[in-house]
Amino acid sequence: MIHGVVVTHGRVAAELVAVVESILGPGQGLSALSNQGKGAPELTAAVKAACAEAVADDARGVLLFVDDMAGSCAVACRLAAGVTAQARVLSGVNLAMLLDFCTWRDSLSSEELARRLVEKGRQAIAILPANPGDDD
Amino acid sequence: MVSLARIDDRLIHGQVTVGWSRHLQPDRILLCNEEVAADPWQSRVYASSVPPKLAVAILGREAAAADLRDARPDRRDILLTSDPADMLALVRAGVALPEINVGGMHYAKGKAELHEYVWLDRDDVAALRGLLAAGCRLYAQTVPGSRDADIDAADLDRIEAEL
Repeated sequence: MIHGVVVTHGRVAAELVAVVESILGPGQGLSALSNQGKGAPELTAAVKAACAEAVADDARGVLLFVDDMAGSCAVACRLAAGVTAQARVLSGVNLAMLLDFCTWRDSLSSEELARRLVEKGRQAIAILPANPGDDD
Repeated sequence: MVSLARIDDRLIHGQVTVGWSRHLQPDRILLCNEEVAADPWQSRVYASSVPPKLAVAILGREAAAADLRDARPDRRDILLTSDPADMLALVRAGVALPEINVGGMHYAKGKAELHEYVWLDRDDVAALRGLLAAGCRLYAQTVPGSRDADIDAADLDRIEAEL
């Protein structure tokens, strides 16, 4: 199984994981980390520890989900992924990505899953028509 | 010209690349940090974390001081260090920095709280005293538009008493 760690500004990560578990139930292989109150070394160390815990838990890989592709969370995750085999960093995390992660984390490789989730995340961003049948 | 000299232990991140950069429209971010400058992997990660229109330089103390002393007056730099000691080294090496923003020094064991986002240990206090003695104005502020607060000798006395 692949483990996921959501790493974001403020309480976004904890709330996203809580919403996923409210929809699918607990035990979805997701954990949450916030950058709140942490400098770069502390946040990077926390992400490395989360990766090590996942690997020790027999995970086949770790996907690190971040909110902003250029923020402190992304930097910390990229630095942690550089020393963790089978870790991938995905930016722009949204609920659709995490729900799909939970569905496919048993059956795909971390590389296949990462590519799938990026596509799923992009598909979930759209301008929705206000009225049914209205394409504009 | 240094538009903003900032002490921030997160180095390059959103408050700098979005908050301050949108406000100041810099041409370049100069990150002065020995560890990052000596590590090509860390340098690549930080350098690729800024918007494409912004140039980035990641240098150790000596090279950063030389670069800033010879800086083109028409180039607007944001200067970043992770701690006050690096900033003090630049000032002592002849870099003119009349104002220094303390933007983020987060909690760690052995530090005392000056502001929610500024925690200091004895080394930090000593370096900040050095910056005050060199004539620099120190102010705590996270992003443009947020409340700023001067940091003076009395603040440092109070923190030192708590350590």
